[in-house]
Amino acid sequence: MGANSNSIDGSPSIEIAKGTRVNSDFSHFISRRGLLVATTGLAVAASMRPASSLATAVDERRIRAAPSQARFTGPDGPHTAVWAYDGIIPGPTLRLRQGQPVRIIVENELNQDTTVHWHGIRLPNAMDGVPGLTQKPIGPGTSFVYEFTPPDAGTFWYHPHANSLVQLGRGLAGALIVEEAEPVAVDRDLMWLLQDWRLSGDGQIAAGFGSPMDAAMSGRVGNVVTINGTVPADQSVKAGERVRLRLANGSLARIMALRFEGHRPVVVAIDGQPCDPHEPEGGRLLLAPAMRIDIVLDMQGGPGKRYAVIDDYYDGLAYTLTTLAYDNAPPLRAHPLDTPVGLPRNPLPEPDLSGAERQQIVLQGGMMGGGKLAGVGGMMGMAMPGMNGGAAWAINGMSMTGDGHAGMMPRFTLKRGSTCHLTMRNETAWWHPMHIHGFSMLVLSRNGSPVPYRQWQDAVLLAPKDTIECAFVADNPGDWMLHCHIVDHQMAGLMTVFRVT
Amino acid sequence: MKPTYAFAAFALAVAMPIPAVAAPIQTLMYKNPSCSCCETYAAYLEQNGFKVELKPTNDLSEISAGLGVPAQLQGCHSVVIGDYVVDGFVPVDLIKKMLAERPEIAGIAMAGMPIGSPGMGGQKTETWKIYAFTKDGKAPTVYATE
Repeated sequence: MGANSNSIDGSPSIEIAKGTRVNSDFSHFISRRGLLVATTGLAVAASMRPASSLATAVDERRIRAAPSQARFTGPDGPHTAVWAYDGIIPGPTLRLRQGQPVRIIVENELNQDTTVHWHGIRLPNAMDGVPGLTQKPIGPGTSFVYEFTPPDAGTFWYHPHANSLVQLGRGLAGALIVEEAEPVAVDRDLMWLLQDWRLSGDGQIAAGFGSPMDAAMSGRVGNVVTINGTVPADQSVKAGERVRLRLANGSLARIMALRFEGHRPVVVAIDGQPCDPHEPEGGRLLLAPAMRIDIVLDMQGGPGKRYAVIDDYYDGLAYTLTTLAYDNAPPLRAHPLDTPVGLPRNPLPEPDLSGAERQQIVLQGGMMGGGKLAGVGGMMGMAMPGMNGGAAWAINGMSMTGDGHAGMMPRFTLKRGSTCHLTMRNETAWWHPMHIHGFSMLVLSRNGSPVPYRQWQDAVLLAPKDTIECAFVADNPGDWMLHCHIVDHQMAGLMTVFRVT
Repeated sequence: MKPTYAFAAFALAVAMPIPAVAAPIQTLMYKNPSCSCCETYAAYLEQNGFKVELKPTNDLSEISAGLGVPAQLQGCHSVVIGDYVVDGFVPVDLIKKMLAERPEIAGIAMAGMPIGSPGMGGQKTETWKIYAFTKDGKAPTVYATE
């Protein structure tokens, strides 16, 4: 039942029988195992690479940020002026190898400063891409060399961290996939980078970035949603195949809740980090900006049938994102694969909760947030155009606005190697995906109930009034950001900085 | 919304000082889907002689702009009432005044969401400025101060 002969789209398929693995959690000795995996991964990767890169063992890439044109609605649609990496929306998917050093040269051909944030990758602080805080921004006509070794396999993405609202909103984003040392047993491995655009009547990206209403409410939600840069047509699938589908929400503000009509997706990783495989509650995948979810989909529909993929997050505004269209071929196999779908865990350090340092952040502000922001006197950073110089949000009474800049004082400091037990409390009337730089956090509880499935996340979604407890080992020194990834909220004050010594 | 019905109700409203038993004035509210204060404001309108059809949209800023609401005055909802647009938590007396007097404007708006305004609750703490705007690109003018 090897899947080799059944590759549909030319993407590499692998022998299913070889993919059998034990789906256990080795977190007790994850470090040693992780190291082993990483080492093996390097060896495998190196043996498959051309001689030139063997010599250095550094994978070298180059991407260029510049104005470009896109056609969101297909080849006959209007041209939209965008900003893009390598001229395409989304930017090129960077496929890296777990444990293999990479050097990525970023060239800036925009007329303004930029940086690149390698979202979710645990890397040295100086490579994190936050202007002022971790690096000098990349000026127009100049370049910057990012060097790191991705420790974790999984689904990540990259985007600017300078003038974020405009640069991400005009199109600068791409997927970053770190491949497992051993290939995972699926027939196809697909990436959907979901992006939301606010287009005006003439098909151009609407002006008005940073309006006070967007800033203080749900952010700049748009009116056109694309998958990998185009308004999706049907997704051609084959009965019986097993697909790993990597979902990433690269929108500024649109939260999505995806349902796969007639199918039972199994979540195998969140934010790039494998979790215990599980079906989401109600079959609904809640995907906020910056979040990634890897699912395994066994295509159990009938040949020739069609099934809608529906986003019904916003009340009264459900729509069909795309349709799974089965071809007429007989099923690839009679029964779904019984191979376990779990992914090998990444080498994350295990938090020691008994000796943990407790920190709490409270999210405040926004419309309907109980009136005017109290204690925003601690406002720092640049004033937002359109914000009347004011902030709309705060963390623990302090509004840090913008994208990052020199002189941001950390709100708390963690001793290197210590475990941080972080409580996040949302006092606002709005949803916030809170993104931590440099770390993945083990999500412990939501509103007092334990969170199952050993989920590690770098973007944790808080519903209004939610309290979430997380933990991580502060093993990576530097000043790191923690902010809401609804970019309007970040720009308008929902951001803080912590230090690891 | 049925345009003829709305127009009839509107004509009726304009023709006479609105008695309590008048047929409700039909309105269409475009609103941010995640905002509950719009619904509070809709209920306030309904208590004051209007019938509100809610239309949640993620495209509010484009719709509001299309209706002529200047960017700096756009709120979490835009209410279409006959030929006019009302944006933000404008007190109902001012809406009725506009409908009765029929000024040459596109609509009226109150920026921000001040405490004490209909939809927000709480005690009024400051003076509100309600602006009139037109579709010809001219700067908004103060329509009323409350």
